[in-house]
Amino acid sequence: MSAQDPMVRFERVSKRYPGGRDALSGINFELGRGEFAFLTGHSGAGKSTLLKLMMLMDRPTRGRVMVDGEDLSQLRPSQVPYLRRKVGVVFQNHQLLFDRTVYDNVALPLQIAGFSPAQAARRVRAALDSVGLLGKEGRTPIELSGGEQQRVGIARAVVNKPPLLLADEPTGNLDPELSAEIMNLFVRFQQVGVTVLIATHDIALIERMGHRRLILDHGQLVAGGSAVEDDIYGG
Amino acid sequence: MADKRPRQGGPRQGASEQRIGIFHRLQAWLANHQLVAVETLIKLLQKPTATILTWLVVAIALTLPGALWMTVDNVQQLGGQLQQSGRLSVYLQPGSDLNEGRQLAQQVGSWPQVASSDYISAEQALAEFQASTGLGGALELLPENPLPAVILVEPPLGVAPAQLQALRLKLEQQPLVDEVQLDMRWVQRLLALLQLGERLIWVLGCLLALAIVLVVGNTVRLSIAAREDEIRVIKLVGGTNAYVRRPFLYLGVWIGLVGGLMCWLLLVLCWWLLSGPVAELSQLYGSAFELQPLSAGAALILLAAAVLMAWLGAWWSVSRHLHHIEPQA
Repeated sequence: MSAQDPMVRFERVSKRYPGGRDALSGINFELGRGEFAFLTGHSGAGKSTLLKLMMLMDRPTRGRVMVDGEDLSQLRPSQVPYLRRKVGVVFQNHQLLFDRTVYDNVALPLQIAGFSPAQAARRVRAALDSVGLLGKEGRTPIELSGGEQQRVGIARAVVNKPPLLLADEPTGNLDPELSAEIMNLFVRFQQVGVTVLIATHDIALIERMGHRRLILDHGQLVAGGSAVEDDIYGG
Repeated sequence: MADKRPRQGGPRQGASEQRIGIFHRLQAWLANHQLVAVETLIKLLQKPTATILTWLVVAIALTLPGALWMTVDNVQQLGGQLQQSGRLSVYLQPGSDLNEGRQLAQQVGSWPQVASSDYISAEQALAEFQASTGLGGALELLPENPLPAVILVEPPLGVAPAQLQALRLKLEQQPLVDEVQLDMRWVQRLLALLQLGERLIWVLGCLLALAIVLVVGNTVRLSIAAREDEIRVIKLVGGTNAYVRRPFLYLGVWIGLVGGLMCWLLLVLCWWLLSGPVAELSQLYGSAFELQPLSAGAALILLAAAVLMAWLGAWWSVSRHLHHIEPQA
């Protein structure tokens, strides 16, 4: 749990779904604090499963997942919410609440974490500002474009200043220009110290940006498993 | 334990988050309760028909035992008065004169501490006895009528036991009188009936409390189903079970509270509709008895029971359905 611990550590992690399909097998990797990495692979390679394990939206069949120095298998159900507050997530389908305003959507994690409305207001505005949506607080997500909705999701993911930010195909529905914009946002968060892991199969974008790449193939990590290998830093 | 979060090690983030003081936390927690309570009520009022129906179900379910409670309370009060006003049977000496007996009955009837008196001659008593028991044949074999004449003395309602005792002594001192009996049996019957009524309140109350739990449980279940997406998102961004449960528990509390208040209104309505006729009736019996509304204590117990049962129903429903709803990617 010290600052020397990696942000994320997978030790021989396997996930077998009922029915016998191996979503992940024997995954080993570490993600250092403040690191920025992409997670790629064909669809069904296990990217989403890997992200879910870090949120305890799913549990591994074997192996150990550590986040921020904590062994997730040791967490009691009552501690799961506190883990999730440390991990911001962005999904392709946004997971926004459409009956609430942009402001209320972004404020939700703060409200849950026990911020007073005044304290929350400052942070919500800062988060919306960082994604370029200041001035749209009063809208509902349905009034926004796909890219804007995605940015609301990002603002919500970072508003609580989590040390770890995960994104699952955050640019899946967006055109290249918007995708690049969104990716630049993630880079900016990394620059202020957030550990970022983005699952995507937008290869062109990844190659343009560089950064470490974890490549999954049929549930196995075929590249990028170790942070010290030089060749995994693309470019 | 659970909210003791480790310090975050990232270079910049985290520090300010850790600085939320306990006071601010409490303040925010209270603010959240207030917000959720108000939001839940607003949501309820946005669906007036369904909401009013639910409130009415709770109100009626409570009104039944409530009305019974009010009735038993009143009868108890009335019984308390009646218990002290048992009827006196004054047995005259055997072979006493018919006219003298009638005279005594009239005389006793004129006393201020007596409401009415009725003379039953030995012959009348025999005839009644024969008619009611069918032992007429056996009695005819006796040389003379073994039954004495009786004066039935009815004291006014609400007379004190001491006065009753004094009346008894006074009657015993009359020259013709052989024996005076206080007839308490029907009072005992009334008491047994009241005990039955109390038991009935409990049985009915428990059944209807269960009904409230089920009705509120079902309402909450529907509400959970309608807000499944919201619950997933809240859990995704770190909402505790308590946080997720809160609006649904408030939903239960609102249903119970307003249902309980509506039950008060219904009971007051019942009381208002009945108190006129009851007052007329008791006046005809020469009593000052008035139908009392449910006592404040009993009313509060009813309201508390309504809130508690509705809260229980909500809690039961939420704990049954909540863990099925987990965030999805």
